[in-house]
Amino acid sequence: MVIQTAIGATVAFVMTRTVIGRALGAAQTSWWPAATMADLIEGEPTPVTIRRAQTDGYRQTVNREVVFLIRTKDQVTALSSTCTHLGCRVSWDAEAALLKCPCHGGKFDRSGVVKAGPPPAPLARFPTRIESGQVMVEL
Amino acid sequence: MPGLTDLIDWLDSRTGIKAGRAHLLDEPLPPGVNWWFVLGSILLFLLALQVISGSVLAMYYVAAPDHAYDSVRYVTDHVPLGAFVRGLHFFGASFIVIAAVAHMARVVAFGSYKSPREVTWLTGVALLLVIMAFALTGYLLPWDQKAFWATTVTINIARSTPLFGEAIASVMRGGSQLGALTLLRWYATHVLLLPVALLALVLAHLFLMRRHGISGPVTPRAGAPAPFYPYHAIRDTVAVAAVFALLITLAATFRVPLDGMADPSDATYVPRPEWYFLSLFQLLKYFPGRLEPVATMVIPGAVVAFVALLPFLDRRPERHPGKRRFVMAACSVLAVGAGVLTYLGLKDSPARAEPGTFTPLAIAGAEFATDQRCAACHRTGGAANPVSQTRITRDREWVIAHIRDPDNITPGSRKPPPGGMRESQARSVISYLQHVRAGGVAPSSVDNKQGIVVFGAWCANCHIIDGEGVKNGPDLTRVGVKRDAKWLQTWISDPAAVDAKADMPAFEDRLEPDELAAVARFLAARK
Repeated sequence: MVIQTAIGATVAFVMTRTVIGRALGAAQTSWWPAATMADLIEGEPTPVTIRRAQTDGYRQTVNREVVFLIRTKDQVTALSSTCTHLGCRVSWDAEAALLKCPCHGGKFDRSGVVKAGPPPAPLARFPTRIESGQVMVEL
Repeated sequence: MPGLTDLIDWLDSRTGIKAGRAHLLDEPLPPGVNWWFVLGSILLFLLALQVISGSVLAMYYVAAPDHAYDSVRYVTDHVPLGAFVRGLHFFGASFIVIAAVAHMARVVAFGSYKSPREVTWLTGVALLLVIMAFALTGYLLPWDQKAFWATTVTINIARSTPLFGEAIASVMRGGSQLGALTLLRWYATHVLLLPVALLALVLAHLFLMRRHGISGPVTPRAGAPAPFYPYHAIRDTVAVAAVFALLITLAATFRVPLDGMADPSDATYVPRPEWYFLSLFQLLKYFPGRLEPVATMVIPGAVVAFVALLPFLDRRPERHPGKRRFVMAACSVLAVGAGVLTYLGLKDSPARAEPGTFTPLAIAGAEFATDQRCAACHRTGGAANPVSQTRITRDREWVIAHIRDPDNITPGSRKPPPGGMRESQARSVISYLQHVRAGGVAPSSVDNKQGIVVFGAWCANCHIIDGEGVKNGPDLTRVGVKRDAKWLQTWISDPAAVDAKADMPAFEDRLEPDELAAVARFLAARK
């Protein structure tokens, strides 16, 4: 009984560890150039596409990530375009001055705060910094 | 409150698990069952382990020529315990072949296949063939040089079948050449068809084993039968534990080899099958030309037929091996024959360099790839990954075009680097990338790096060293045996001054004096 348990436990440990693999590791982030300050309009969320080269398991990919940049004077806020409800892509409705999710009617204001609909949390924010007029976003 | 016993009772009333458990554990065994009878249990354990490790590997494997090699490389180099699981699967296959042959040898020696167990034996022979098919199909999956060329040989063997050979080979390939369709159908066979066949045959084998009972010792002994549990179960457990311990030791100690990626244009590769097919491979050498089907079809077919028909050829009830001289002698001849052929095959195997070991061209390529011209985009946070992390997924011509002029291939990426890169430099970078892909790490310090870099930048356009470069001029791998540095330097400066009919251009105007001296020293050291 002891021997059988030992064999079973060894197999289970090895296989579980390999199945988990690197799935639980923290995602790696780095700083990506997103836009220049001159491209951004004061107070208006501007969608920018960030090309980021990433490792996807055994292969390399270049992912296109859409981020909303909102300029307030010399500061820039970067908002994720992923709705916090079920992950659809939000877009800026200039007339209503809201970021709207097409899936279940989630609405966010220009600082990412939920204004209507099912989203449980505000839009995620990414760290930003400005290097000689170039807006850098960390994701 | 109902307890565990109540739950078990309820489950039993609905399913009959108690009777099932008793049926499994209380199997009556004839007196005299000993350690010779653990081989089947070992085999069963190894097969189950193979299914588990294979399922885990399948979570990382991609069955496509563009990705298969990298996905295997990834599981070996980057997944925690991935190399170990691959080791279990790889060595497990060899263990299964050994255990299966040992199990069959025991059955033959003990005459256990005799009436009424003929069909049990036939299912066993079929299982051996399924195991062989597993080994053959699994061999292609890593998509490295070894996999590609060994499978080429396998398919060509099938092609030598009289009449239908060409059709059989085409179906095995899924087309006219070994490629994406071949990999997919071999993968599907390995993970879908064969496991189903294996399961069905194992169940049939076990069912028949229980139906007729264990054959027991050669001369039946008097006494009451003993239940399987605990008397024989403890032997099985100890034996399985010992085999498992040996298997994990091997898997933890030795890295499963992974050659360079399959390169259908590389004609220099000498394919070798796995050791358990080596005897067949060796046999092929003795039947050249039109006699080939004798080695590929007639002899193996006759051996399988003979083995399968053993219970019908050897029909007397006598089980003692000493009184079944013909069968024992015939089987011994087969075993010794296979052993000798395997030994000869092993002796004849060529030594191979580790695919990750850096060649001069790769070292030169590593120098060019750290150049500012590449690093402008290939850096963390840049438009592309650092070159050291880049795995090439395109063909050679694509990469050469990209290295010479990035904008040509990915428009808008950036302006072409000033002056571009010469083709020989691009080839060096590709060699570097290939070595990185094969798991190699660039050596931190190299003797006479300047000479190597000059070779990569200029000479590799017409000359080969260690199989890399372009074959316009002589192979320089061992040029130092014939020429010293002084002669080489004079020659490279102006070949026409040494030999008026020389084809090679003069390099005294293109290279600095110290570069000339360095490359001459590098070449003179090639012995």
